[in-house]
Amino acid sequence: MSREWASIAFALGSCLIAAWPAQASLGGRRDSIDADRRHLGAQLSATVAPTHTVHRLTLPNGEVIREFARSDGVVFAVAWRGPARPDLRQLLGPRFDDVQADNVLPGGRRTRRPLAVRRPDFALSSGGHPGAFWGVAYLPALAPPGFSVTDLAEPSS
Amino acid sequence: MIRALLAACALLLLAACGGGGGGVTGSTAVGVGASPPPPPTPPPPPAAQNFATLTVDAGPAGLSSGPNGYIQYNVAYVSVTLCAPGATTCQTIDHVQVDTGSVGLRVLQSALSPAMLAALPIENDANGNPLGECYGFVDGYAFGSVRLADFQVGGEKVAGMPFQVIGDGGAFAAVPSLCSSGGGANLAALTALGANGIIGVGVTTTDCGPACAAAGGHSAAIYYDCPSSGCAAIVAEAPSASAPFQQLPNPVAAMSVDNNGTIISLPAASGAQASLTGTLYFGIGTETNNALGGASVLLTSTSTNPNGAGLINVVYNGLSLGESFIDSGTNLFLFVDSAIAACTGQDAGYYCPTSPLSLNATLQGTNQAVTSVAFTLDNAASLLATNDAVLPGIGGNPNQFSGLNAYPQSFDFGLPFFYGRKVYTAIEGRNAGGTTGPYYAF
Repeated sequence: MSREWASIAFALGSCLIAAWPAQASLGGRRDSIDADRRHLGAQLSATVAPTHTVHRLTLPNGEVIREFARSDGVVFAVAWRGPARPDLRQLLGPRFDDVQADNVLPGGRRTRRPLAVRRPDFALSSGGHPGAFWGVAYLPALAPPGFSVTDLAEPSS
Repeated sequence: MIRALLAACALLLLAACGGGGGGVTGSTAVGVGASPPPPPTPPPPPAAQNFATLTVDAGPAGLSSGPNGYIQYNVAYVSVTLCAPGATTCQTIDHVQVDTGSVGLRVLQSALSPAMLAALPIENDANGNPLGECYGFVDGYAFGSVRLADFQVGGEKVAGMPFQVIGDGGAFAAVPSLCSSGGGANLAALTALGANGIIGVGVTTTDCGPACAAAGGHSAAIYYDCPSSGCAAIVAEAPSASAPFQQLPNPVAAMSVDNNGTIISLPAASGAQASLTGTLYFGIGTETNNALGGASVLLTSTSTNPNGAGLINVVYNGLSLGESFIDSGTNLFLFVDSAIAACTGQDAGYYCPTSPLSLNATLQGTNQAVTSVAFTLDNAASLLATNDAVLPGIGGNPNQFSGLNAYPQSFDFGLPFFYGRKVYTAIEGRNAGGTTGPYYAF
């Protein structure tokens, strides 16, 4: 490979590395959390638990987003609560398309029910009303050993 | 004392208006030489008719026909009238959903006549460009223009009130990516919204509050700068529930009288039935027909709460659910109870007890007021199989919709809770019957 090609390849690789975190948080690496923080203009703090670390993003409007990461940095769950539903395209990455695919309004009798996803490898539960939304997205296969879904609960203050 | 006098005056006025054979009465001949009578004092303006008819039925014309049509259920509708500001071009829009869980008036573009749409001016932002809005609902988003209208519901009016035209054309035809990033469906079609519009009469005075008073940002920042090239930048709009408006006001908060809250009064339903008729009252303790009486008052979280306004605590099955609420805009009881039989197949997510189930929950206000509520849960599959619009006792489990046994944190008392009750929703910062909102009472 010529030096020129190598530098092009390096540039392409750098672009991919630079671009990738901005596309994915759920299922992505820890640096994607920083991309979320910049994108959302949020304050970031972290709490370490035995099986995982909770990265807590606080948005200017008071919204709180919690990203659950394994020790190797992979984000396996994202939870939110606050006055609005956050930018899920940013926070869920490619999984956002699954949310949209699974929440097409049904024909026939219809309930204005909260967004939900029920898949073997991806679950999303949500609720609330305009001005007060909450939800959690979870990739069970990526969760660390010993993690329980009850660990997704907001610690009581 | 003053209130009693006002009430007496209102009664006298009602008597005068409803008496029939009106005209000038009580005039007496004045004798020659008598001193001239004092000039008549102008009568006080008549009290507004502070109520409108509520209907729970199958929905607007056209909803049940067509390939995606369906019979609506557990939605309370009202009619509203819009006029071009200061003009006589008006339209009455039927089947507007009454929603205590949101704030602001939103109307489908398809529900407006072309002449009406053309006559309604679009609000401008600080750049002098048309103003757009993205408003998130629990299942999707409403995007469109912000327009101004002289608004009327029952006898109550608001002049020059901003409201949203969902699915408007022109610069508003393309939904900004940031708007759809909240997820869910675009609610611009009649079958998506299930109503010709939504009148949000929740606990806050405007639809976004301080969060939208700063430009840029994400999430709750929902107002868009919409030059002819389309909507992109998020702009700041001030929250004001009186003129000059910027954000969409709570239409009730913007009324000149009876502006501290609402009462939804619906009769009980013993089983599935085709329709129910009730009353939406404006004001709490402002007229003879909207007294708070002995209702239990549960103060809710305010808009300074980072989790949002309108939240109370509900204790169910020994668990404390801090993000609970009472919401006429939800069709059912939404709560987590894995011990109740779940429906399967196309009704997965709903509850399917084999016989009616008597349940209890304890509601706690932020004022520590506590009220116990008994309700009956019925088989959702049986209810949904009917062609009825009133389905009492229907419930669902958010965890069953997702299969994720997430931590329960919310109990949503939807419209079935309102059947057979008078439910009061008081607006933040407004004195309503002696207590300052926000609160729910019933």
